[in-house]
Formats: sequence, C-alpha cells, structure tokens
Amino acid sequence: MKDFFKLFSSFFRVAMRREMAYRGTYLAGIVGQWICYGSTFLSLYILVSGFDLLDGWNGAEVMVLYGLSLMSYALGASFFFNFSSGLSRRIRSGEFDASLTKPIHPFLHEVFSAGYNVGYISHFTISLVIIVIALSRLHYAPSLSNILLLVLMVLGGSMVQAASLIASSTMSFFTVGSNPVMDFLLWDMKQFTNYPITIFPKGIQFILTFLLPFAFINFYPASALLGKSIPDGYPAVLPGLSPLVGLLVFILSILMWNRGLSHYKSTGS
Amino acid sequence: MNKYWIVFKKSLKSETIYRAATLSGVAGSLLGFFMQVFLWKALLGAGVRQDTSFSDMLLYVIINSFMLELTRTNVAAIIENSMIDGTISMELLRPMSYKTYLLTSALGKNTYGTLTRTIPVLIISAFFVKGVSIPDLHSFLLFVVSAFLGILLMFEVTYLAGLLAFWLQRCWFIEFYLMGFERIFGGTMIPIWFYPEFLKKLSFFLPFRYMTFEPINFFLGKTPAREAWLPVLMALFWLVVLNVLDRCMWQMAVKRLTVNGG
Repeated sequence: MKDFFKLFSSFFRVAMRREMAYRGTYLAGIVGQWICYGSTFLSLYILVSGFDLLDGWNGAEVMVLYGLSLMSYALGASFFFNFSSGLSRRIRSGEFDASLTKPIHPFLHEVFSAGYNVGYISHFTISLVIIVIALSRLHYAPSLSNILLLVLMVLGGSMVQAASLIASSTMSFFTVGSNPVMDFLLWDMKQFTNYPITIFPKGIQFILTFLLPFAFINFYPASALLGKSIPDGYPAVLPGLSPLVGLLVFILSILMWNRGLSHYKSTGS
Repeated sequence: MNKYWIVFKKSLKSETIYRAATLSGVAGSLLGFFMQVFLWKALLGAGVRQDTSFSDMLLYVIINSFMLELTRTNVAAIIENSMIDGTISMELLRPMSYKTYLLTSALGKNTYGTLTRTIPVLIISAFFVKGVSIPDLHSFLLFVVSAFLGILLMFEVTYLAGLLAFWLQRCWFIEFYLMGFERIFGGTMIPIWFYPEFLKKLSFFLPFRYMTFEPINFFLGKTPAREAWLPVLMALFWLVVLNVLDRCMWQMAVKRLTVNGG
C-alpha cells in the first residue's frame, strides 16, 4: 500500500510538470472551463428559478444536482480520462504491450502511466463553489455527519463516472478503435443526469437506475442529501445506497476490463 | 468561385467516411431532442410562460439545433491543428484566400452535420408538433437573411479567435470561452426571453445573440416586422467590425508565423 502511494505520487508529479510546461495555456484553459460550466450553471438556474420549480426541485436544488454531476465527473475523470481516451491509441500503436511486462498489474500501470489529468481542477473548483453556495441557501446544516454524507455521496458518484470511463475503454480490446455504440451509451445517455430523472418517462427512469446506473451519479445522491422524492414505487433505500452502488459498479467495471484484457491480442506493430 | 465550390464538396464528402460516427451522431441528436421535449413538458405542460407555449419551445429546440449544427465547426481548432502539424504552410501557398478556404470547408462539414443530424429530428418532431404556426413568407425570408448573417458572424468570431493561435501556438481553450459566452449572451441553451432584465439588455450589445437567437425569433414570428431592422443591422454592424479586426490581425499574424518542423 505504501508503494502504491509512492508510485502514484511520482506519476502525479510527472503529470503536473507536463501541464506546467504550457503554463499560460493551462491557466487560460482553467478560466475557459469556469466560464463554460459557469454559463451552464447560470442558464440552468435562470431556467428553473424562472419557472419556480422543475418537478418539485427549486433552482438551488438543481444547482446541487448538476454540481454533484460535475464534481463526480471531475474526480472520476481526473484519474481515468487519459487512461480511457488513450487506450485504443496505445493498443493500435503497440505501446500497450509495455504495460504487460511491468511488475505491477497492467490495469494499474495503464492508469498510472496515462497520467492524472490536472485540468479537471477547474471542474472541481467551480462545482465545489456552486454546491457550497446552493447548500447554504438551502440551509443544509454543516454538521460533521452531513459533511460526511456529502463526501460519501460524491465518492459514490465519482466511482460511477470512473466505471463508465473504464467500461468504455474496455471496448478497445475488442474493436481496436473507437466504438460509437459505447460512446452513445456512456456519453449521450449521461445528458439525462442534468435534470431530475422524474421528469422522464418510466422506461428511462428504469434504465438510468438499474441498467446504466447514471442516476446514482447525482440524482439519488442529491435526493439523499435534500430529501427529494424518487420515482414512484422504487425502494426508499435507493438514495442511501448510492455510495455502495458506486463501489459495486466500479469493481464490476474493473472485472470487465480484466475480462477484456484476457481477449487481448497484440496488433504486432 | 469554382475552386471554393470544390473545397466545399470535398469537405462535405470527407465527412461521409465516418459512417459509425454519423449514426451515433443521429442517435445522440435524437436523444438530446427527446430530453428537451420531456424537460419543456415538465416545465410548461399545457401552460404558457412569457408568451411561450410548449409548441413554441419545440420549434425553438428544433431551430436552435438546426442553427447550432450550421455553425458547429470551430475554425479555431482547424487553424490550431494546421499550425501544429505544419499544413498551414501548404494552405497558405494555395491560390485562394485562407479565410474563404476555411469558411467553405467549415460550411461543407456543417452542411453534412445539419443534413444528417437535424433531418431525423425534423421527421420525428413532425409527430409531436401539432397546430404550430408555420411562419408566413415575410418572417421566413427574414429568418433566412438573419440565419445567413448569423452563420457568417459565428464564423468571424471563431476565425478571429483562431488567429490567436499564431501567437499562442495553442488555442483549444478558446472553444470553452465561446461556448460559455454563447450560452450566457446568445441564448443557445435557454431562450433569452426567459432571462432576467439586465442580462437581456446586455445581450443586445454583444454579437452572440445575433448568431442563432435572432434567426429563431424571426422564425417564431416573435420580432414584429417594424423592429426587424434592428437585429439585421446589428448583425451587419458586428460583421463589419469583426472583419476589420481580423484583417488587421491577419496582417500581423502572417508576419510572425512560425511553423514547427513543417
């Protein structure tokens, strides 16, 4: 375990230095992301508060909902985005084979060497600010247990986000190239998490809860935090289970990745 | 003129290679459309807000996605890429204006995107939209004019931003700024008529609302005919301003062009 952190921190320093080589670009990028996501927050807020309520959620509550989605994405993607988006290229070029010869598990080596993506600091900071402001406007008591609950919910959501990135990279073992079906399932379907899932038809609620559990990224965590109602007839424990569901799909995605790995044939280049 | 027609056709054709990407694009845009339908159903139901009914919003969503597709390609990214891999030195040698070349190739890409991604949405939505007032000829013509100006305006802004690559080498982040400004001041995510008063006023003084939002207003007949001159004139004004700016910048840019490795 000690070695694990030593390895991670040295890989982390390399990633940080790589970004800082273009300091101006890096900073301009961060400000740009703030503006871009800030505009999404602002539009959503104007929209919902202009109409008073969106299916029982007020403006500040929708801010928490979207904030959780962005924050969990920032956490999940900072560890797994480079890994996920680069895998098919590394397989095609043959670089991936090097990971098979290292004295640590190929999955860990891939994650570490792909690098921690420091760019997501912008997503994280803006979502943190928005969540804190929104929660204080909703008089969410900053007690220790409440903060702990918030942290657990964010971690659960991050693991779902990470799992979807890991799952999408798994396809590269089979197709050696990008896979639009997977992209569709994992990127386009995720759009539904910007709004409370109760505004969508029953079928979509079912898919987002039980098949592609994106509702556990932010909808169930937010309803656990704010006590919002979940779809009719769904077990009342679902919101509280969010961190566990996150852990479960995270583990499942790694198992899936390993299954994919056993199918791997080098491209030989 | 003929050579630009060739560029247009080639760039349209080069998009057709990516069949799988096209299919997932169609699926994605349909999904996005349905999401908007459910969202506005939940918000508006059978009611009316700010003079806007559910079927108005459906039209807004459709025309908005149509306009966004027509202006989708970010020329800044194209300029940056050809700076990085050195193709810019070849492109500058060609017997055509670099700016017009970029415009036509972007139009080619966007035309393909519009055809493949907007038409399925149009067909599907024909089942949803009932009793919608199709614009009269006058509004429709104004829409066409202002949509045309909007496309040019969008191009000018991204082109101007893309020229920054000559100084910075990198400009991928510009896309985020533009997207943010378009969302806040251009009404690409939610229509400006729901905005608070001060944002609404501010948006008149920036170029962004004349890109996609004013054309939509014309299509929906929300701009009265005697006020139509204002958005059209403002779009023209911004086109002239940006054109002058980018000419000056271009003069400076080509002087300091450095190509790494070519």
